Amino acid sequence: MSKEIPLRVHNLTFRYRIREVPAIREMTFELQRGELLLVAGASGCGKTTLMRCINGLIPRSYRGEMTGTIHLFGEDATQMEMARLSQTVGTLLQDPEKQIVGSFVLNEVAFGLENLGLPRDEILRRVDETLDYLGILHLRDRETFGLSGGEKQKVALAGVLAMRPQILLLDEPLASLDPASAQEALQLFRRLADEGVSIMLVEHRVEDVLQIHPDHVLYMEEGEQVYYGDAEGLMRVVDYHKVKLPAPIVVERAKSEPPPAIEPAIGAEDGEKLIEFRHVHFRYDSALPDVLHDINLTIHRGDVLAILGHNGAGKTTLVKHALGLLKPTEGEVLLEGRSTRSMTVAQAAHTVGYVFQSPTQMLFAPTVEEELAFGPRNLHFDEATIRRNVDEALRVVHMEAYRDSPPLALSFGQQKRISIAAILAMKSRILMMDEPTAGQDYWNYVAFMDAIIQTPGFDAIIFITHDVDLAVVYANRVVLVDKGRVAADGKPPEVLGDEALLRRCRVVPTSLLALNMRYLPRTGRFMRAEALAHLI
Amino acid sequence: MLVTWKYRPRQSVIETFDPRARWIFSMLILFAIIKFWDIRFLLFFFALVMTQYALTKLTWAETKRAWFFILFLILFIVALNTLLTGRGGTAEVLHGGHVLWRLEWHVLGLSIHPTITVERVWFAMSQVVRMLSISILFFVIPYTMDPRLYGVTFRGLGLPDRFAFSMDLAFRFVPTLARDFSTTLDAQKARGYEVERMEGGIIAQIRKMAPLVVPVTMNAILSGEDIVNAMDLRCFGIRPRTWVHQLHYQRRDHLLIAFGLVIFIAAIIVRNVLHVGDFWLPTWALQWAA
Repeated sequence: MSKEIPLRVHNLTFRYRIREVPAIREMTFELQRGELLLVAGASGCGKTTLMRCINGLIPRSYRGEMTGTIHLFGEDATQMEMARLSQTVGTLLQDPEKQIVGSFVLNEVAFGLENLGLPRDEILRRVDETLDYLGILHLRDRETFGLSGGEKQKVALAGVLAMRPQILLLDEPLASLDPASAQEALQLFRRLADEGVSIMLVEHRVEDVLQIHPDHVLYMEEGEQVYYGDAEGLMRVVDYHKVKLPAPIVVERAKSEPPPAIEPAIGAEDGEKLIEFRHVHFRYDSALPDVLHDINLTIHRGDVLAILGHNGAGKTTLVKHALGLLKPTEGEVLLEGRSTRSMTVAQAAHTVGYVFQSPTQMLFAPTVEEELAFGPRNLHFDEATIRRNVDEALRVVHMEAYRDSPPLALSFGQQKRISIAAILAMKSRILMMDEPTAGQDYWNYVAFMDAIIQTPGFDAIIFITHDVDLAVVYANRVVLVDKGRVAADGKPPEVLGDEALLRRCRVVPTSLLALNMRYLPRTGRFMRAEALAHLI
Repeated sequence: MLVTWKYRPRQSVIETFDPRARWIFSMLILFAIIKFWDIRFLLFFFALVMTQYALTKLTWAETKRAWFFILFLILFIVALNTLLTGRGGTAEVLHGGHVLWRLEWHVLGLSIHPTITVERVWFAMSQVVRMLSISILFFVIPYTMDPRLYGVTFRGLGLPDRFAFSMDLAFRFVPTLARDFSTTLDAQKARGYEVERMEGGIIAQIRKMAPLVVPVTMNAILSGEDIVNAMDLRCFGIRPRTWVHQLHYQRRDHLLIAFGLVIFIAAIIVRNVLHVGDFWLPTWALQWAA
């Protein structure tokens, strides 16, 4: 192996041909053998562009103007052939679902090697070696579609590692994983680095990555390199509103700022039963096992309910029953006292507004205004009411200026707000959200959740999440779901205080939870780090 | 919500053949079938493809939907096209002929008066046997061919890497597309959208599909960029690729291809040299008209 430094980037600037301003400016850093470099920053900061410059997609697939240099083991990266470049730099894209091109695990892992035209024996040997190394040899003959999120990512990684790159670029590898799988993935990255692979890990979940002690951190804002140095230094320079830092550090730094003034605008508790699950069992097919098992759960007016659990625990299946999208195999679900069996989904939508995880799965109209009018029109509201609801919904999500814009042309964060507004305009009594923070960075999702929680007009809010901190900060009630059962149900301190239970349900406790538990006798309830800072 | 492939290993005779040999055989039989209009020859082919069907060990339960679909489609096409207009047939089928019934319908102010002749009925029967034979010949393939082998099969048949791999890619993303569609359907239902309640004319109905079609299509297009990147980063298309699955011709495969060739050549001789096998009407059938 070459004695040269694996990756050296000097004064790198790149502007996409169709853009006026450069996406990244004057980046300078290097990556040693076995080094783990964390590249942090909010969405749109230029992380992805930087990766594309290094892995060769720029300039091969994306045209533009590039200045500065990238050297891989002393060799100019722009002059390297793709075949050699891809065996030097391996890239794991953000969404393994899209990176995986093979229908079966074996084909997926072999894909790059097949393209390089290696002999068949060599390919099979390397596939088995790589799968064995990652501990997933048992998946070899499985279909890729049916794998869990964590398994998919390992398979995608195997496909990259089989090409034996010495440098690994990881693009937000934690984004599609639940916390327990994310922990496993991080340990794996650490092991790879310890065994000599140079890793550039692009991630905005800084707090999580800090656990595996990155050797260096590069912090970017709007295409510029704001900080490059060790992890401790990052804590001092970075804006903790933009990047999630460990709770004790936020508490320390937030003392000098005024306390946050965020009060939920939810309807008062009066014991009214909005949704009632009675002995609900559900299975997709009589030949398959139960997905939900004897669920008994009542949602009252005034609940801000976090449904917490790992991916595949049955959370989404559970909430789909509330809207009648799925009907129980046994038992019944009552919506304001009426069984969902006797009503259509459209009728149920008057009571429950359900926001799906990804806005791109529902946006279709030519303008934002028409998008928002779609729901209320389906519910047969009169035109004057529709107009009033649309105006109000736009105001709540601060999107008045985009009334005539096509929703599909907006940024992801804006689309997310439009998808909420589309439900707000239906004036449902309950707002139900599936992974409301998915695909958004910390800064955006905090602002988003703060806005939702302060939105008047809802009698209850339900959100599905695998993020403990979301439940700590926003919920007044937590339901822990595991293996299709309700494992615990109660006030946040009651449910989240039982660490053994959380671990058993593959939910990972956080530094904010630990801090809140420590000061609970003094505070009496859970709160965000910024608020804690002023009470302790 | 759950997409399952029709294929599962069935330990049938058919599966022991190399998929390339099966495709070559099927294509040869297809070209042989389309040379004939004579129901006697077509019935021979029908018997041949039914023999193949019997060798697949497919059960009625797993294929009945496909059967109904094919039968409906064929009967619909034949009833509308062949029986009423005689289109596709020879002169005696199109014009004149021995009349069975004269019908008269009034639809939307137009009066339609098709004439059913003995020739048309007989031609329609031949057409049904012919289309059915072709359908059965190919519809067993997805049930009995391992989806992993499509790419390497087409590569083995001489198509370029890019085309062959696109078959594999299609198999990879069909379940994803189906899942996206079902998610979008749920998301729009949650906004009060009712797909069952389709009112208005054709244009209005198509417009009502927009909430489903637009998000699914847009998602597929946007995913396309990532998929292309993922393939580029792993060197797709830079040189002739190795296919990790390997196919081996065996004696039985050569025999199958030879059998297909014999039938194909025999068909050419019968049709082009002996000039037998064009539309055939038995004389006894003409008595129907009287």
